[in-house]
Amino acid sequence: MVKFLKPNKAVIVLQGRYAGRKGVIVKSFDEGTRDRPYGHCLVAGIKKYPSKVIRKDSRKKTDKKSRVKCFVKLVNYQHLMPTRYTLDVDLKDVVTADALQTKDKKVAACKATKERFQERFKTGKNRWFFTKLRF
Amino acid sequence: MVSGKKTKKTHESINNRLALVMKSGKFTLGYKTVLKSLRTSKGKLIIISNNCPPLRKSEIEYYAMLCKVGVHHYNGNNNDLGTACGKYFRVSCLSIIEPGDSDIIKSLPGDH
Repeated sequence: MVKFLKPNKAVIVLQGRYAGRKGVIVKSFDEGTRDRPYGHCLVAGIKKYPSKVIRKDSRKKTDKKSRVKCFVKLVNYQHLMPTRYTLDVDLKDVVTADALQTKDKKVAACKATKERFQERFKTGKNRWFFTKLRF
Repeated sequence: MVSGKKTKKTHESINNRLALVMKSGKFTLGYKTVLKSLRTSKGKLIIISNNCPPLRKSEIEYYAMLCKVGVHHYNGNNNDLGTACGKYFRVSCLSIIEPGDSDIIKSLPGDH
């Protein structure tokens, strides 16, 4: 009886082009909107996971390997699998519903989330989030 | 551990309680609506039949764990659970939203 589809929840996208990718809920619309009369949420996720970084990599190599490609998408709750993990990266100011209106706003939002995800990956926290789901 | 064989008496009482919920309370039957009720945190108790496919069973249990809602593994298959609900079709999983006059929610979640 506890609501769990809240911002900062880590989820796995189940359908669509990004199926199998991990993401984090930025904003949830439980009641839906006029355009989407069902429960859905804004998800910022990883399009391309960072590769494994080893200790003997040079600086240039670690930078290259730690690159993350992101996506921002409105996803129906039915197409998400919630997990017990959370990822508290502050994306509220960067990823908004109107960032999805035009292509360049979306690209800007993705770039900003990419920065935040990359710096979080480099700290070594939330390791589960940045590993690819094997299936 | 929990007794391996459910006694006849407790099994009948679960059936009685379920019948009371069907009559007086709100419930939904079926996997899709069970997940919906868990997502919106309306479900108060989930009952799963014993022949529910294991992947589906673990998925429902995971959602219920996130929701902190009790799951009861019914001692019978989906045919029996459908009959216990008074329906003429099979029911693999059901979610109780309002128990009505029944005390099923207070008496069951001790057992998991």
